[in-house]
Amino acid sequence: MRTRLLVVVSSIGMLLAAAPLWAHHAFSAEFDASRPVKLKGTVTQWELVNPHSWLHIDVKNEDGTVTNWMIEGGSPNALLRLGVTKGSLPPGTEIVVEGYQAKDRGAIAVGKNITFPDGKRMFLGSSAPPDADKK
Amino acid sequence: MSHRLFASTAAALTALIMGCAQTPASGQTTPTGAKKAWTPPHTPDGQPDLQGYWTNNTLTPLERPKELGAKEFYTEAELADLMKKDQTRVALNEEEGRPTEPGTNADVHYDYTQFALDRGQAKLSWNQRTSMIVGERGTLPPMLPEARKRNADIAAKNRGHELDGPENLSLSSRCIVVNQESVPMLSGGYNNNLQIVQAAGVVAIMNEMNHSVRIVPIDGGPHLSADVHQFRGDSIGHWEGNTLVVDSTNFTARNPFHGSGDKLHVVERFTRVDADTIVYRFTVEDPETWDQPWTAETAWSKVDGPIFEYACHEGNYSLRNTLHGARVADEEAAEKKAGK
Repeated sequence: MRTRLLVVVSSIGMLLAAAPLWAHHAFSAEFDASRPVKLKGTVTQWELVNPHSWLHIDVKNEDGTVTNWMIEGGSPNALLRLGVTKGSLPPGTEIVVEGYQAKDRGAIAVGKNITFPDGKRMFLGSSAPPDADKK
Repeated sequence: MSHRLFASTAAALTALIMGCAQTPASGQTTPTGAKKAWTPPHTPDGQPDLQGYWTNNTLTPLERPKELGAKEFYTEAELADLMKKDQTRVALNEEEGRPTEPGTNADVHYDYTQFALDRGQAKLSWNQRTSMIVGERGTLPPMLPEARKRNADIAAKNRGHELDGPENLSLSSRCIVVNQESVPMLSGGYNNNLQIVQAAGVVAIMNEMNHSVRIVPIDGGPHLSADVHQFRGDSIGHWEGNTLVVDSTNFTARNPFHGSGDKLHVVERFTRVDADTIVYRFTVEDPETWDQPWTAETAWSKVDGPIFEYACHEGNYSLRNTLHGARVADEEAAEKKAGK
């Protein structure tokens, strides 16, 4: 499996407005906006737990070693209402994660966007309106 | 309080001004014009029946956007346009409808649409108000100078120490109390689901966010002693016609509402105006924070149950990650200072 692990260091740039009100914690305190990552790996565990779900994936590094990354996702309640269950993402599933690495520089990231290798977005399938205005 | 603008007989008026509950997927709306007077069912002990599952999920801001001036209500056509725009927004990877710039703090979050957290993916309780705060101004009243100083002093004291230890993190990060379960009860990012259960002498409101139950006695008893301060205050209720009126005092400045102090006083009015809608109106006063009381109104809409558990501590790795990240930053700063 070809692995892409990009840790791009760049200037943080001008901060936009306030932190999102969505989560019960501040993402920007936990994750580093200057460290975007793109990870391709296989699911080893899918923790559908509160307050945030966590996806564990094995990512093969360029030197042949494997790192198990831990990816933060949303609260499970809304997913459950859409019919997503613990069995929806079985171990062995290949996925691609774009996100930001944790500030502790460990193998932890927030999964901004999670897709399957064919580009299909995880969980959403075709539910996105086809005429969505991409601005 | 002298500013109870919403008499118990105002259900018909409320039906006039409140809009409709709508599920984006269905596109079904309820007419926003005059409705026939609706008589709510009653519980076996004679209370108007508010029981069931509700959502207070809304896109209506607390304060009116400046560009709308004194416009208090959208027209039906304007509301329909907003609803349509919101449905197209669901597919976008944005925060509150605004694009986020890669590499910025605002962009650091999971995809709300992917995890069904975008407000447009859950049932929304629409209405024609341009802001929850009622009246011509539509914004919070001026904050008193002493309150501004109080809040500035607190911020100054915390500045630079936000990540010193777990006790420095916010109450919500620590799963102690989150905004949605505080008083007044407003929606947040997700899990905006509520369940009301009534029994003789008591109304209980379960809030999915943080899985907490607010128990409101309606037995005519007094508030707690003024010496007792609680994150969500102390609530006592009574019925005025078909409206449940809940009076809350005994707050603590440790859980402020838009900068309030421990003299916060909130009067909430819950009126079921039809089978699927509760009008939720509240008046806030704090003589040590604002120069006048202010009132806001929104709608709760019927949703399907059940309420799911939100066990905030269950997998709250965020605290560990946040504090460990801060300690790594401390070490790096120390090494840099030492010239390593």
